Amino acid sequence: MGQHDTFDAIIAGSGHNGLTTACYLARAGLRVLVVEKNDWIGGAAVSRSLHDGWTYSNCSYVCSLLRREIIRDLELPRFGLQVIPYEGGATFTREGDYFAYYSDHDALNRELARQNPRDVDAYERFSQAVMRQCRFIRPFLLRTAPDPTSLKPRDLSELLYLVKKANDLGARELGETQRFWTMSIADFLDEHFESDLVKAHIAGGGIIGTGLGVYSPGTAYVLLHHYMGDVDGTIGAWGFARGGMGSITQALAASFESSGGTIVTGSGIDQFLTKGGKVTGVALENGDVYHASVVASNMDVRRTFINHTAESDLPSEFVTAVKRFKTRGSSGKINVSLDRFPTFPAAPDGARFLSGDMHCSTSLQELEKAYDDWKVGRWSQEPYFDMLIPTQIDPTMAPPGKHMMTVFVQYAPYDLEVDGVRSPDNWNETQRQAFATCVFDKMEQACPGIRDHILHAEVRSPYELEQEVGLTEGNIFQGELTFDQLLFNRPVPGYAQYRTPIGGMYLVGSSTHPGGGVMGAPGANAAREILRDVGKGQAMPVYTD
Amino acid sequence: MSNTTQNFDAVIIGGGHNGLTAATTLARKGHSVCVLERSSVLGGMMSVGGAEAPSFTSRLAHLLYNLNPKVERELGLRLNARNLTTVSLAPNGEHVEIDGGKARMMDGALHPKAVAFATLQTRLQRFATLLSRLSLRTPPKLSGSWTDPETFGELMGLAGIGLGLKGMGKVEMREFLRALLTNVHDLMVDDLDDGPLAGAMAADAVRGSFSGPKAPGTLFSLLYRLGNGANLRAPVGGMASAVAAFEDAAARAGCVIKRQSAVRSVLVQGDRVHGVELDDGTVIHAKAVLSSIGPQATINLAGIQHFDVEIARRAKNLRAKGTAGKLNLLLKARPEFSGLPAPLHQARLLIAPSSDYVEHAFNPVKYGSFSEAPTLEILLPNAHTPETPQTLSAVVGYMPHDPPGGWTDALRTKAEQQIMAVLEAYAPGIGDRVQHSELLTPTDIQTETGAAGGHWHHGEMGIDQILNVRPINGMAHYQCGVEGLYLCGASAHPGGDINGAPGRNSALQALKDGAL
Amino acid sequence: MTDTSAARTLEEAVPLGLIPTVFQPRLEALSSAKSWMGWAGYQSAVVIENMEFEYFAIRNQSTLFDVSPMHKYRIQGPDAEAMLNRMMTRDVRKIRPGRVGYTLWCDEEGMVIDDGTLFRFGPDDFRLCCQERMLGWVLDAAWGFDVQVTDESDTISGLSLQGPTSFSILKDAGLDAAAALKPFDLAEIEPGLWISRTGFTGDLGYELWMKNADGLALWDRLWDAARDWGLKAIGFEALNLARIEAGFIAAQVDFQPIHSTLRLGRGRTPLELGFERLVDFEKDHFNGRRALLQQRQKGLRTHLVKIELGGFKPSNGALLYHRKTKEVGHVTSGAWSPTTKRNIALAELKAPYGGQVQDDLWAEIYVHEEGQWDRRLVPVTVQTSPFFSHPRARATPPRPF
Repeated sequence: MGQHDTFDAIIAGSGHNGLTTACYLARAGLRVLVVEKNDWIGGAAVSRSLHDGWTYSNCSYVCSLLRREIIRDLELPRFGLQVIPYEGGATFTREGDYFAYYSDHDALNRELARQNPRDVDAYERFSQAVMRQCRFIRPFLLRTAPDPTSLKPRDLSELLYLVKKANDLGARELGETQRFWTMSIADFLDEHFESDLVKAHIAGGGIIGTGLGVYSPGTAYVLLHHYMGDVDGTIGAWGFARGGMGSITQALAASFESSGGTIVTGSGIDQFLTKGGKVTGVALENGDVYHASVVASNMDVRRTFINHTAESDLPSEFVTAVKRFKTRGSSGKINVSLDRFPTFPAAPDGARFLSGDMHCSTSLQELEKAYDDWKVGRWSQEPYFDMLIPTQIDPTMAPPGKHMMTVFVQYAPYDLEVDGVRSPDNWNETQRQAFATCVFDKMEQACPGIRDHILHAEVRSPYELEQEVGLTEGNIFQGELTFDQLLFNRPVPGYAQYRTPIGGMYLVGSSTHPGGGVMGAPGANAAREILRDVGKGQAMPVYTD
Repeated sequence: MSNTTQNFDAVIIGGGHNGLTAATTLARKGHSVCVLERSSVLGGMMSVGGAEAPSFTSRLAHLLYNLNPKVERELGLRLNARNLTTVSLAPNGEHVEIDGGKARMMDGALHPKAVAFATLQTRLQRFATLLSRLSLRTPPKLSGSWTDPETFGELMGLAGIGLGLKGMGKVEMREFLRALLTNVHDLMVDDLDDGPLAGAMAADAVRGSFSGPKAPGTLFSLLYRLGNGANLRAPVGGMASAVAAFEDAAARAGCVIKRQSAVRSVLVQGDRVHGVELDDGTVIHAKAVLSSIGPQATINLAGIQHFDVEIARRAKNLRAKGTAGKLNLLLKARPEFSGLPAPLHQARLLIAPSSDYVEHAFNPVKYGSFSEAPTLEILLPNAHTPETPQTLSAVVGYMPHDPPGGWTDALRTKAEQQIMAVLEAYAPGIGDRVQHSELLTPTDIQTETGAAGGHWHHGEMGIDQILNVRPINGMAHYQCGVEGLYLCGASAHPGGDINGAPGRNSALQALKDGAL
Repeated sequence: MTDTSAARTLEEAVPLGLIPTVFQPRLEALSSAKSWMGWAGYQSAVVIENMEFEYFAIRNQSTLFDVSPMHKYRIQGPDAEAMLNRMMTRDVRKIRPGRVGYTLWCDEEGMVIDDGTLFRFGPDDFRLCCQERMLGWVLDAAWGFDVQVTDESDTISGLSLQGPTSFSILKDAGLDAAAALKPFDLAEIEPGLWISRTGFTGDLGYELWMKNADGLALWDRLWDAARDWGLKAIGFEALNLARIEAGFIAAQVDFQPIHSTLRLGRGRTPLELGFERLVDFEKDHFNGRRALLQQRQKGLRTHLVKIELGGFKPSNGALLYHRKTKEVGHVTSGAWSPTTKRNIALAELKAPYGGQVQDDLWAEIYVHEEGQWDRRLVPVTVQTSPFFSHPRARATPPRPF
């Protein structure tokens, strides 16, 4: 009745990182199984049709961070992946004006000058600083983090690499880098720009998915996290995966299966099985059992070890550290089927900047207040949202002439406060609708009457995200991107190299370095470590700067 | 006194404790030093300021807890102070006494999380002691190659800290690297649960800062405050007597101290200082000028044309928004805090009943406003001698330094009422005992002491404004670019509190550079 | 895709793409090549008709090049001289009213931000012209000084009239008062029309500055006057050849302006670009002074030098070698000089090459002709004097041709 099969490696979870690891292992000749609790694969990189004729990128919605090296190694374009960069973007004001982020550099300069003449140069200075940081950080993404407490040659050499890179910067640049990594995005923007509107437009990238405010230290780093990707080498560019974000995981799955891999859906992990300190396989909720001496979990570190591993299998300090790992959900998502393109009264006819990311938060104070609301367990009264209508350039997501809109919202709490009680159970249909109403009310600032065109809307709080995707507390990065949870601290100190206290068991999701976003880097880095451990290190491509 | 010239090896601008420390350090090495203080009293934020009667002897700062022991020794400070314990007050009367690593309830029973707290305190103290090794050195520049002697020395210093770190063992080292840049709220609440104990630690971390306990980097602020053992002391006779001790040490070392001597400009020739000119036209020649008044004011005195554009820009952007206010009350009788035994009225009393409370107190200041539930650090200096005039000294968090429309009389009244309402809740009847009250806002503190924004540390001690970027990148090693000109106040490394390290370090740097 | 229920007439809040200068109607009419590029967001000519003939006009008759897109900043006030002296490496006090000075300015590490020309209208009245956008920097540099900064980039137009007959054209246009202008002089020849004897060609020439509204009238006036003297509108390609002959450096080509570089270590100091004479260490502090003093002591990293090469193939992008084996540098701007009949270039060499070591230098030139790549290794000699220098460029009063 239960399936009992033996594999070389089992990956728990078919999110993009799990599939990435699975692909590299399969290509190295291992017999690999991926198990997935949902009937569909993809984790938070999914495209699903919840309203007939429309496809949503239900969770993640734009692509930039997916590493070029991984796309090429796993031949994802051959298996259908196509990422189209989008242009433009804007923030709309209450007064019927906007700041448009033109991709045309000359137009952008003029638009910045329209906001404030000083801000043209400010933007150059800002861009240069951010680009320099991107160039500094990118080599570290596809490298395993060093363990600074270890004297092993590999760790020392990684540490030395880090130190040398830092030293190469020179004293002035090192100081600037140090400041950038520890500053708040708002303070960083205040040091450059005059226009509140321009600052607010840029600052959103510093709080996406994060339980911090624009004035919280460390949010400039979060912004960097969102700028350090690229589309075909254009650093900082974002694009739509044609067919939605699910096409990424579909391509990964196809690549995996073409290398001989197996995917089983419909039942999640009940327990990771161990014996004598080593992993032996997985037991699924439906009773099936699969065996392997290598098991990798794509779930976040808390779900993996607190929900599905016997506490007796783990050292107590490890359990404490895992419980301490912060995965606070702060984001909501609304996916919308529109029967026509909305009206943006402030925007010129056929404005191309509407095909980019749009927002309605017009000042840093407004953004900070949005964070304060979340701190006490409510959704933001004036939410920040990242709103796009990909169907302007991706014809695959809605019927011709109709549109799909994706709205990512900051902030929405996981443990919603109602009548003095904070609990995720407070999220019900009424609350979700109230949340959606709040978002659409704000959206009227850009496109009044939007509600008249809505045929269907999927509204998700962090609670739904947790239930469907398995992200603990609905944190989209599988753990906050704060200093105490980055690099050699991610997910917990001493276990930041994808290995866990259980022999043969690994973590491969965004809970590991370098963190969240649809990057694939954690999955690829983990694959490298796994292959080294099983004596197939040569099978992993080597990346040079 | 006008148009006479005098000659010294060094001139110190500002007679606060760092200025006096810098002066004494140089004088003890045999140099002639002149301290110039623009007001009639020494001490800066330690001083009694320009108040009219009744004078509060701890009008601004009221406690010592971060005084660098090496500075204390080297200066030969003759301090008479009594050690204090701390009580974190709870609204329901279940106050917690905190004494070093011990946490007890009012009936003497251990706090439910006493063991976890003791472990945490020991660990934090160990981390803090390690970090404090950085306090008595100029921050590393690391600008040369590894074989460059200065760079090599810096690396050795850092290696020493690295070894100290490794000496802690793997587990502790990992925790250090994890916790160093974390926020104090999570650290406390993870181990202690939220309540007066966690609240006290959170409040101690962020007092004087423009941040709440949930902000990353606030644990570092706490470690800074634990760096000298957190030996909590109240000077006998008030902070004024501690100022007198600093002045005494300076005078004994041979420093000339001039009050009511405001500096109009720092004289620069050939990219080198050669003295200062006072408001009354007096010129004082010196080979070195050490300024404790912060980078912006120092740049203004010397003339912006002597500084690079980037430096000027960074100095302009230096975040210095003060958030600490001070309430001084003259009372007809000692207040009675509910549920607090009489002897413990001599302790440091904290109103910070949870970390969430502290965060809540912080939120409004971001919008130029003031919380109805502020945090308070309270001293009753004469609680042990009820027959003497009773005063209450309270540091208030958080007060905006620049509320929209400014600190009008109406706003002051409202703020004071809100504070008194909080005090009334913990010490019923206190309102009736008030004979005289004085509320000092960050704006007042700026006016009286000259500190930018009235900021406790002369500049935010956020992790992006410390060490080799404090106060700004390019001016973080006490040197200002112009030869012989140094920063010696709290805006320089390591930072604020009544500490003395900036004063000492800057003096030693000036000597090392051969400026005198 | 958009709402058709109401007539939508909303235009973009700002123009997209390149916009024309006031002279574009004339240039458009004259252009047969239709070869344009963007310069500071403006449409600028690469070639009008034919690059070769445009170049020869510079050295034989006269040419007009539209310099309106140049960035221009007016700096006025009692502290203007002090503020500029703190910003610039040279002593601004030595640029008297009615004079123009070529100048560089640096960041705090001594790296060149840009080079430009500083026009002094009066004791407290200056205009800075430069290639890179500079408003933010000028405003930051002005902070703390009693000065007023105005961005004139989009309100002042400019024409560069260069060539041996350029003065004759001015004379016939009724602007003969320009005869008194020595090289780098500046004067208001007519109300609202400032003429400076400056240019980017190393030849006799003038730059004319006026308010936008007056531009076309002046253009037409010059064209009418040019009937006997030969006048061509030119594009950037021809001008670039002339400026290489003159030995002038260009931002983004011969050095990287430090505020736009993304990679570390790509900036250059004035010393490394060969401009020791424009760095005055004797005056008071200026931006980057301390860093430059340190570099002067520790040694330069590179030398930008003028070189002459063997062979006839233009050397752009060529790598330079010492003793034919050790790679020591590269050509930044190279060309075959039609006027001097020499193969010339500006090149960057790693110290000590180009400085203490100047012998046995070679260039590896890749030549691509009709589908085939050839490699030429040619000898290189470092030059100290200008490639092109003609007395007519300096004669005052100027010669008719």
